[in-house]
Amino acid sequence: MTTRPLTRYDRSMLRLMNDRRSRPLYATAARRRLAVAAHVLLTAATGGLMTYSFLAEGQPVWALVVIAALLLPWMIATGAINAATRGLLELRERALDERQSAERARVRARAHQAMTLLLAATAASLLTAGAVDGHAPTAYAAPVLIAVLVVHWLMPLWVAGLTAQDEPEEA
Amino acid sequence: MSEQVHNRLAVIRAERKVSRQRLAEAVGAHYQTIGYIERGQYNPSLDLALRIAKFFELPVEALFSLEPFRPLTDEIYGRKTS
Repeated sequence: MTTRPLTRYDRSMLRLMNDRRSRPLYATAARRRLAVAAHVLLTAATGGLMTYSFLAEGQPVWALVVIAALLLPWMIATGAINAATRGLLELRERALDERQSAERARVRARAHQAMTLLLAATAASLLTAGAVDGHAPTAYAAPVLIAVLVVHWLMPLWVAGLTAQDEPEEA
Repeated sequence: MSEQVHNRLAVIRAERKVSRQRLAEAVGAHYQTIGYIERGQYNPSLDLALRIAKFFELPVEALFSLEPFRPLTDEIYGRKTS
């Protein structure tokens, strides 16, 4: 941890992120992978429903109800991943020690690499769709841009959840 | 670079009856970091290694080494390594 003193907010976040009560949710690599998979699915489902309700005529109420219902499990999955990483991406730099700071930099670098590949694939898909149907790139540009933005925001969390290691047992 | 640094931290910590949490708080690290150092999954910086050595009032080379440590009993009772 850095020499900068922790604020009350830092200390409360540190306590929250190191609360071991949620350990059953992320104790093993399989459970962490499950939490990340659930988070990806819930994000995709919520994003898909938001796009549908935006594009559909007459704003379907059922879609908004389902989105609201999906938010709770999405938040639980987010909390489980954050707890598994001990707040690697949520805590301020001053609340992390040297290993955690290095781990955060590694996670961000991996997420950046994954996003570069995803953006390349997205651009190639849009260009291919444009070659087949000239209107496709402009028609799909907005939803694709929003989807990529969401993935860009969440990719570090998913990478951190997948690369988190098991808790060292107390000898 | 992934140079393996060997350490005797788990043995010394158990001998002194110090929990990971207490050691971590004393040296300004996370308790998991102490566990990863003990498991050889993380090599501490010189700064952290020196703080850990200071906590135990031992020279840093008593805790960390580039060569594998001999068992403490061998060192105490002088058994030759084969």
